[in-house]
Amino acid sequence: MQTWIQILMSSVSLFFLLLVAIRVMGKRNIVRITPFRFVSYIIIAVIGALMSVNMITNLALGFVALGVWVLFPIALEYLSLKSKWIHDLVNGKETVLIKHGKIMEDSLLQTRLTAEELMRELRSKNAFSLADVEFAVMEDTGDINVFMKAHKSPVSSYDLGIKVAPLAEPQTVILDGNILNEPLFSLGLNRDWLSIQLETIGVSIDNVFIGQIDSSGDLYLDLFDDAVQLPQPKVKELLYANFESSQADLTMFALETNNKAAKQMYSEDAEKLTQLMEKLKPYLLR
Amino acid sequence: MTVASQVKKTIATLKGNQATLRLYALQTREEETKSVYHEALDATGEIISDLEGRMQTLEYCEPQYKGN
Repeated sequence: MQTWIQILMSSVSLFFLLLVAIRVMGKRNIVRITPFRFVSYIIIAVIGALMSVNMITNLALGFVALGVWVLFPIALEYLSLKSKWIHDLVNGKETVLIKHGKIMEDSLLQTRLTAEELMRELRSKNAFSLADVEFAVMEDTGDINVFMKAHKSPVSSYDLGIKVAPLAEPQTVILDGNILNEPLFSLGLNRDWLSIQLETIGVSIDNVFIGQIDSSGDLYLDLFDDAVQLPQPKVKELLYANFESSQADLTMFALETNNKAAKQMYSEDAEKLTQLMEKLKPYLLR
Repeated sequence: MTVASQVKKTIATLKGNQATLRLYALQTREEETKSVYHEALDATGEIISDLEGRMQTLEYCEPQYKGN
């Protein structure tokens, strides 16, 4: 057999073999793998390259080596799923670098991290002042994660004591003018519903680039034609405003009537409506 | 506008609100939000029935404005 055919054949078969092998080894981000995992990837790559250009003449031996470097990481990963002890042995443990705002110099020495490198990592996590850091840890992948002091953390609605409505993730139902059936059906809707919605808004499906349905079931559209101004869904705001006007009406009736019982009923209802609006506010306005 | 027709207008607004609430209670995906909408529906229903009772009294007192 001619050499070039041999190389072509082995290269093509290795191409697909390695594709499968790397897929089987997991979909973890290459930046966030442990150093040892990185080494095994390199070894697989080198063996693959050598076999592909026929530097390893005995293909069987090459496959044995390749098999070991593909299967062992998978086996180790499986074992470390089962046992914490093996997991720590293989991946190492995270190292606490800053505790209660104080740098642990021993840990720095252990991880061979200089003060400059630590400061750089902290800055990349938006902690420019060491005084803002409560806790920092180096993960087994070498990443440094930072927990800021409570008064420097971003304010959440919980901190402010404001109730917010729970939100589910929006589902994309139109992409590039095509209706995506699966997300639409998972929401319990169908194409007819969508075409009625598009008709009410007054756009054709060909003009829609992306259409998303938010957790309250409202449709948000982005059109190819950016000159068209779309009415944004404001139904919930309108609903709240309608409740407000009804509440004002009831208060007015209570003031105007001379009938004692009716006055009582109107003001009670107005009060009921006020409480209702208070309850609905997070869901309708935020 | 007579008192009766004002009350009628408020009833109509509240009924419209009920319809919108019912729509959102159906199409929202969050169970918690759903139950809040259902509570709101019940409360609105109570107010509507109160107003409708008052409406009958008003129509009895001022039959000349009935239907306005």
